[in-house]
Amino acid sequence: MEKMTQDQVRTIANMLRKRSLWMIHYCTGCGAMELPPTMTSRYDMSRLGLAPFVTSRQADILLITGYLNVKTLRRVITVYEQMLDPKYVIGFGSCALNGGVYWDSYAVIKQLDRYIPADLYIAGCMPRPEAIITAFQDLMDLIDSGKADGYKRYKRDLAYYKENQRKVLG
Amino acid sequence: MMGIVDKIKEIDGTKVTVQRENRIFVDVEKERVIGTLYSMKLIGFSQLSVLSVIDRIADNQFEIFYVLYNRDEKVNATVRVWIDRDNPVIETAEKIYPSAHAWEREIAEMFGVKVEGNEEAGKPFILENWNDLPPMRKDFDSIKYSSEHFVFRHSEDKNE
Ligand code: SF4
Repeated sequence: MEKMTQDQVRTIANMLRKRSLWMIHYCTGCGAMELPPTMTSRYDMSRLGLAPFVTSRQADILLITGYLNVKTLRRVITVYEQMLDPKYVIGFGSCALNGGVYWDSYAVIKQLDRYIPADLYIAGCMPRPEAIITAFQDLMDLIDSGKADGYKRYKRDLAYYKENQRKVLG
Repeated sequence: MMGIVDKIKEIDGTKVTVQRENRIFVDVEKERVIGTLYSMKLIGFSQLSVLSVIDRIADNQFEIFYVLYNRDEKVNATVRVWIDRDNPVIETAEKIYPSAHAWEREIAEMFGVKVEGNEEAGKPFILENWNDLPPMRKDFDSIKYSSEHFVFRHSEDKNE
């Protein structure tokens, strides 16, 4: 048998990866409300090969549902760093995107991707299960085409992320 | 038989306002708060539902209120006390209502009220690394704090 090239291996790996994603959802905000219908029979995300998971070590997707404040950001970063490569981050709702309705709050840190790299954002307050399912499909496409490279960016731009983290976490 | 309102009126130094059935306000002086709470518990107000603060900045006062509930009579009573905003000190109520412990920690953190007798009030509770005015005070500028500490994304900003 001919030897497969590095690229071919990666292509096949990505193709397989996107079909079996385990998700850890960090329910910081109100948006977590939309996850039960997404997971259960009404929208049934397991038909896409996704499953909710409980530990960070085994999870592939980190779903941040809603606003993050200084206290929860610290935990999110710990969870994110515990996860093994490849790992993907989805920012869920306008709060993770830009503070949302809490843009003027003393606690909410606004932009998630200044602290950890987000591969995808779902806009809306709160996004409906249809939007979440669409986001998962988009994420699969990104993985397939190798564009979901947040974990690589985190290593490459570690100094940038760590500096931002230090600024708010002290 | 004596009604619950009359029983509250019997407590020394209280000014009772009956807003509507089941909703009673009891204004007291600062020195009498603990005594009043104790008497309220004796006449059946067994539960402390809420203990919090209203910042009466125009009068330079804090209004501390204790929402109590009487399960037998199904009556809510709020004990209110106004204290000096520049020197906000209250005595702990945790000996009477143990649930006051956490509420007092919260008002100590969010309003900067000193709680005498509660050993943990004043220690960090919800906030981390806080070094500004207590955030629930009305003179705390949340927008200013937020824009100084956290970056807002403008529509023209590129991702990195
Ligand atoms: S985006 Fe809306 S639903 Fe989501 S956490 Fe923020 S306020 Fe809640």
